[in-house]
Amino acid sequence: MNRRPAGSRKGALAKGLTLGARFFSDGFMKLVRSIWLLLALAVWAPASAETIKFEDSAGLLGASCAKDIETNCRGVNLDPGRMKDCLYRNQDSLSAQCQTDYVRAFDAIQKRAAARAAVTKMCERDVAKFCAGAQKGSGEAVKCLLAGPRGVSINCNKAVSEAGYR
Amino acid sequence: MPSERKIRRRVGLLIVALIGFAALPSLAQTPAAGTAEDWVSKLGGLETAPDLDIVALRQQATERIKAKAKTDAAPLKRPPIAPELLNLPQIAAEVQFDEDAAVARPESYRTLGRIADALSDPSLLGYRFLIVGHTVSTGRRENNLTLSQRRADVIREVLVNTFKISPKRLQAVGLGEEQLLDSAHPTAAINQAIQVETIGSALVASPVVPAVVPAKAGAHKKPKH
Repeated sequence: MNRRPAGSRKGALAKGLTLGARFFSDGFMKLVRSIWLLLALAVWAPASAETIKFEDSAGLLGASCAKDIETNCRGVNLDPGRMKDCLYRNQDSLSAQCQTDYVRAFDAIQKRAAARAAVTKMCERDVAKFCAGAQKGSGEAVKCLLAGPRGVSINCNKAVSEAGYR
Repeated sequence: MPSERKIRRRVGLLIVALIGFAALPSLAQTPAAGTAEDWVSKLGGLETAPDLDIVALRQQATERIKAKAKTDAAPLKRPPIAPELLNLPQIAAEVQFDEDAAVARPESYRTLGRIADALSDPSLLGYRFLIVGHTVSTGRRENNLTLSQRRADVIREVLVNTFKISPKRLQAVGLGEEQLLDSAHPTAAINQAIQVETIGSALVASPVVPAVVPAKAGAHKKPKH
């Protein structure tokens, strides 16, 4: 009689503890998972907005397609017209790696070039307003914008980031 | 239900990831930035723009080969054909080409991209550059001169067509084996590097190419420095 309640009390305590632990660990695992998600987002987000260096995109093409270019496109230089056409024509005989990467590489090169050109356009007014002394085409304008004068338009700021100037 | 050990392992993994994440920016910068940024600083800061006549330079090289091909000194004793290029801000990029052809090999695409990254850096946007082609000292000199010119032209085309560097900012010249980068070792690979030299401002509206090229008179007129 005496033992039983004590035993059940013990049992309840143990149950409570495991329940607590379970709750704690469940909650904790959720927390861990959400931190992971945040990390993944943080890695992914700037990559999607900012374009990548020419060095990396051209390097990707060279690394993934060296053999394919050697066999299918000998004598063709790195060129968004001729080289891309040649790889496209020979698509069926390309390695899987090259097949996916050549489109990505040319795309990335084109995106960065376009993003750099866009800065001039998107920031024209801002440069006139905030960087009056900057000579056109000198890069002074970009440096001035990077120094972060207050009131630069959202679009210009975005263009500067996308061009990878930051 | 994850066991305690599993949880510990996961938490440990997360901590490792967090530390790694904090270190990410510095890690990502080390391999790439070292060189592209290096090049930017080496190419910047041109004090006085040289008075360069690229067309005359080409002719000079051709004339020298024609005139002295047989009697000229060994490659390592030849005086540089364009001493005015020696002291400009410059970099030498080892670009691999197909043998005897003006085709850059895929192994060098990364390097080409790096040149483009440097030239499109804000601090260099205001400058014009000369792409200088060289060859090692094997084979015929006049062939080497032509080959280096074609290679320099191709690099210029890649920079313009692929990476959209303004054609106004780039000129190209081939010096063959007339100005070896390592004259002590005439066949060393560095001698076929592509040089990029800062030659002036891109902002001044100066005519890049003379409207009328003096046909053959240039050979007699060439000034001796």
